[in-house]
Amino acid sequence: MPPPQPTPKKAVPAPDYKTLKAQWEAAKRKKDAEDATKKAKEKQEQQQQPTAELNSDEIKLRELRRAALEGRRKKAYKSRWLWTAGFWVWMLAVHLVGIGYFTSGFLLTRLQLDDKSLCEVPPTAGEGDILPAWSGKGTVEGGCWYPKTFERAVVVLIDALRYDFTVPVDDNAAFHNAFTFMYETAVKEPNKAFLRPFIADPPTSTLQRLKGLTTGTLPTFIDVGSSFSGTAIEEDNLLMQMKEAGKRVVHLGDDTWDSLFPGYFEGNLSRPYDSFNVWDLHTVDNGVIEHIFPLMEKKGQWDLLIGHLLGVDHAGHRYGPDHPEMTKKLRQMDGFVRDLAEKIDDKTVLIVMGDHGMDSKGDHGGESDDEVQAALWMYSPKGIFGRTKPDFATPPATADIRPVNQIDLVPTVALMLGIPIPFNNLGRPIEEVFAGPRGNSWNNLAAAERVTAAGIKQYQASYYAARGMAEEAVSTPGSPADLWNKAEGLVSKGNWVAVYSAYAEYQKETLARCKSLWAQFNIRNMILGIAIMGFGVLTLLVYVSKGAEDDEAVDDPELDDAEKSLEIMGVIPDSELPAADVLERKLVAAAFLGAVPGLIGGALHAYLKGTDDYYRGAAMAALTSIATVGVSLYEIKETLVTLLPSTLWGWMAAVFTLSQSIGFASNSYTIWEDSILMFFSTTFGFVTALSALRIQSLPDRYMAIYHSVLFVVLGRLASSSKLCREEQMPYCTSTYYASSTSSTSALWQLAIPFAVSLILPTIIKAYLQPTRSYEGLAPAWIGYVFRTGLFMSALYWVLDAADNGDWIPNLPDKTLKNLSVYNAQMVLGLAFVAGTTAFMWAPPCVSIVTSASKATPTRAQVAILGYGNAHGARYLLLPLNFLVSLILLSKPMGGGALALLFWQILSLVEIVDLNSLSSTPIGPVMLAILGSFHFFKTGHQAVLSTIQWDSAFIPLFTVRYPWSPMAVALNTFAGQILATVCLPLLVLWKASPKQKGLLGDISRKLGVFVAYFAVESLATMAWAGHLRRHLMLYRVFMPRFATAAVVLIVVDLVGLLVGLAGVRVNTVAIGEVFGWAE
Amino acid sequence: MPLVDPITMASAVTKKGALSQTTTIEPSSSPTAEPYNLLPVSINQTPLAQTLRHAQPLLLSGVLALGFSSLVKDPVAAMSSTTLPLTVGLQAAYAVVCLPVAGRGGNDTAKKTKPRPGEKPSKKKAKEGGNNAYVLAVLSLLITALVTPFVYVTMVLFGAPLLTHGSHTLLCAAHLSLLGLFPLFYVHGVDASAWAAIGGFRAPLDETFGGLVGALLGAWLGAVPIPLDWDREWQRWPVTILVGIYGGYVLGKVVGGTLVWGKKF
Repeated sequence: MPPPQPTPKKAVPAPDYKTLKAQWEAAKRKKDAEDATKKAKEKQEQQQQPTAELNSDEIKLRELRRAALEGRRKKAYKSRWLWTAGFWVWMLAVHLVGIGYFTSGFLLTRLQLDDKSLCEVPPTAGEGDILPAWSGKGTVEGGCWYPKTFERAVVVLIDALRYDFTVPVDDNAAFHNAFTFMYETAVKEPNKAFLRPFIADPPTSTLQRLKGLTTGTLPTFIDVGSSFSGTAIEEDNLLMQMKEAGKRVVHLGDDTWDSLFPGYFEGNLSRPYDSFNVWDLHTVDNGVIEHIFPLMEKKGQWDLLIGHLLGVDHAGHRYGPDHPEMTKKLRQMDGFVRDLAEKIDDKTVLIVMGDHGMDSKGDHGGESDDEVQAALWMYSPKGIFGRTKPDFATPPATADIRPVNQIDLVPTVALMLGIPIPFNNLGRPIEEVFAGPRGNSWNNLAAAERVTAAGIKQYQASYYAARGMAEEAVSTPGSPADLWNKAEGLVSKGNWVAVYSAYAEYQKETLARCKSLWAQFNIRNMILGIAIMGFGVLTLLVYVSKGAEDDEAVDDPELDDAEKSLEIMGVIPDSELPAADVLERKLVAAAFLGAVPGLIGGALHAYLKGTDDYYRGAAMAALTSIATVGVSLYEIKETLVTLLPSTLWGWMAAVFTLSQSIGFASNSYTIWEDSILMFFSTTFGFVTALSALRIQSLPDRYMAIYHSVLFVVLGRLASSSKLCREEQMPYCTSTYYASSTSSTSALWQLAIPFAVSLILPTIIKAYLQPTRSYEGLAPAWIGYVFRTGLFMSALYWVLDAADNGDWIPNLPDKTLKNLSVYNAQMVLGLAFVAGTTAFMWAPPCVSIVTSASKATPTRAQVAILGYGNAHGARYLLLPLNFLVSLILLSKPMGGGALALLFWQILSLVEIVDLNSLSSTPIGPVMLAILGSFHFFKTGHQAVLSTIQWDSAFIPLFTVRYPWSPMAVALNTFAGQILATVCLPLLVLWKASPKQKGLLGDISRKLGVFVAYFAVESLATMAWAGHLRRHLMLYRVFMPRFATAAVVLIVVDLVGLLVGLAGVRVNTVAIGEVFGWAE
Repeated sequence: MPLVDPITMASAVTKKGALSQTTTIEPSSSPTAEPYNLLPVSINQTPLAQTLRHAQPLLLSGVLALGFSSLVKDPVAAMSSTTLPLTVGLQAAYAVVCLPVAGRGGNDTAKKTKPRPGEKPSKKKAKEGGNNAYVLAVLSLLITALVTPFVYVTMVLFGAPLLTHGSHTLLCAAHLSLLGLFPLFYVHGVDASAWAAIGGFRAPLDETFGGLVGALLGAWLGAVPIPLDWDREWQRWPVTILVGIYGGYVLGKVVGGTLVWGKKF
């Protein structure tokens, strides 16, 4: 948020300001004059000397001096603010470098080899062949490495086609028994079709899956980040081999293919469609269906036809699997595949498959069973498919039985179409395709398995050579080399069943080895990243504790007033304001000084060594910079001993933060984090309720107990909003959506936002009234504008539900969608555009009442209502703006949770004030815990699949940068963002305009707050690094680290750009009216 | 001198959080509560009392050990049929034999002169006739039973199941109040200011207060192993909490009655 400078705009709200200020000054002058005369009279009486009355010149002079003093203080404040902001920019940079550095070592990378398989050079060359030579051997026409079975292939990829969608299941779920054609054909005509579970290698995002399905290799995690940009595949793959062989490939549907394989497709026949419009269930599917049938009549124009349909996936994302839309979609797919199969001739094979499954909410990305279990169906009227055992004739009832790996498709398709198997392939041929119609062609199976295994062996040798590693010795029993030798030894004996299984054994073992081999981490980078984060946290803590001591200097308003007035009277010379020796300024200077040698050193080192790791300069710069800042902090005073908590509250803050951080080492504590956070916040409320018994004043005591109880009860109430992660089953019941298999809200949940709009503004009013702060802009803004915003967000979710459920059938298409989107845009405009403007130009929430004094009726008495909370009440307008937009973006249940969060924050602020906890770190730590707690209560978990991508489409029709990612970020981190924006309230609440040192105090509170998140991110980082071979790494530890890292950056950014900026705007506004305290 | 004048900003605003700043605001005359000075409880000096005092922790541990296997199998049945009745008996005996009656013993010297607002007539009688210790024990048990629902609600607020396991939690809450609160009811009655001191952790440590602190901490720590995915029978709700309560109470009572007796937080 930019600081308020433009003067022309100021013209609009100026009257308010001016009248307030004018009233204030008039009252003050009146008082001045009265005092002056009174004093003069006293003097006269005492000394009996005629004294010169204060003439108007003197008053004018004082006015001028006062104006000059105010100006100086304002300038000093602004410069101090800049240095403080500078310190936080530095902190953000340290966090970015630390996280980036760790990530660069942690995210797995796989060396990509440029080798390509060649048709005329089979990997088995020069050794005894199993199959007799076939005509056209070694050519694409006859089959490069194996006799070719088909001329053409039609590949239909139905995104997110989970295996259980395709087999009969005895229940009434919307996603079961709707797509029956594939199962029927496989049972009725086993020689023409087979259906098997098709297991994806995680991560289960479409881009990663397409890589695996075409190259036959395992994706590593580093690729997942590129899912939104898409990068061309450079490794050997099926499409590349097709292109090399002069075959023509046509593509219809999801445009991810276009970014992976640019220039591969026949331009005039292919039809790419935008893939990220999750809202749109039909455009892609209808496009594919419309264009695929004409192509079936033009068989001479293509050799491989790929159709990628997205409707099932989008239905899952938008509604969840258990929704009538999903049934409709699956029925449509059923009809489509039925029609398509009729058009397939003897020379063509039809392959229908899913690239991944979907979890119970319809999302995917992770590695839970539901996400990896897709379906694979092949069909050819030629009738060449076989089963090696009669039991295999019926497709498996569940995906746990006889699954095939998705990479197995690569050698299968390559051998079927007669092209070489891509060089990087690790899969094995699928049995049904090579077993022959009677299921006994063991020599074919053995030959196919052997040529594939030989390819794998070749690849392994190249990979080890490229990495400069030695292969495992043959002598180790069970090693791939040993298994390979055994299999080769069997070939001459002619027992093809044994040969087949021996090679299969070799492939299995190699795949397992590769899986662990590609989990190779760069430990040095990881340690460096952890070190940067660790020292960053330490510096932050020293900064926090250091500043606290400074603060004890002079904070006596009366003394300050006296000093100020002396300055105005000209008795003491203008004091030099301490802008120059602000702590933050020293630190920023130290940070820059420190960064330079590190940066140069790191870069120089990289240059001299000839290595490419110039980015190491950044890491070195971060370390040296932290070191100098640390030294300059240390220099100022004190040791690390002061970091140890000294009060019960300090210990509580430390125990909450640290025990949670230690808990991240255990998957159980990570999985149950939401319950643990509630346990902590209840503990805090319990202890403050008891501690309230120590408050002397009874009304205060009862208020403190009331707020503590309220705080705890609200937290427990919010805990009823749950979105369970898979690992929490069966001890958890999701309540966030209508059911555990949907991602839409239930009807009763739509009432929650309306209740919020009705109740919440009144509650906020109740918190402002005790300090008489419901004045100025507050009644209009909170009572009407804020309430209207909340009401409109409630309306949005009704419109959305009406659109989803097709409540009003006769409306023209998209009417409701249009209405809801424009409604959402209006809410966001109200919150961010109008809200920000209002916050910048709002006068303080006070009003000035002049009345006759009770004691001496002749004297005028000026009362300023809301004076005691002038800072807090005005600042409150800023979090309200965020609250409205976050409630809109968080779905009905999440909106309710956020309203409770805000209520809890208000109570927390009261608790901190009543129990005098402002000098302890417990306030910011509790706020951080609340924010984290509500991350879970707004329908999220620390797993990829709970990101509510559909929130991007609340205010927009299509994906638009940067707004769509911002909407998703606001939805995902709503809890933490709201907590961060509210953080200054911990200091500003009940702070009067005379309060000094607010900025420094807020910056240190922000320090504690950020330290909580930094410690979490450090802990998850360290544990993820330490447990990098843990079974649950990608399921639990790595997603938790990713969440913590992103949250830390978000909190840094929001704290700086919204929190500190908001404080500046607020202080300037208060200072303009009441004079500068700082 | 405008700025030091009360009409502008000075005096009334010094306290952070003054409502509105006017000259009319008088120095606050709102009611305040005096800090209350409790004295630590001493155990009766009779040989029986001294024996039971040391035997009680062992007996309590015995009760828990005895009921543990059935507790793990069926917590509700074990708690209601074994541990709770035995603990009631033990605690009542301990109170009658070892603890000074409310209004007598260690803590009454400080306030003998002042009439205590919440005190019931029966306890006053207890000063004179020692036999009324039994009446007092029964009364205290009654109060303990009355506060158990509140302990139950607190446990739910801490995250105990809301809609299921009602009897599990209630029985667990009964144990907590029986071990942690019952001795204090016996010693202090329902004296509001004494309880304010206890609640505010201003009471001196002794066997009763130490036991409460220990039982609370034990219950808190008892929640720690619940989330672990070890799939052990004893992780069943509320076994760990119950063990924490017993362990914490015994430890707190012993330490409070000996090492840190008379000290304050």
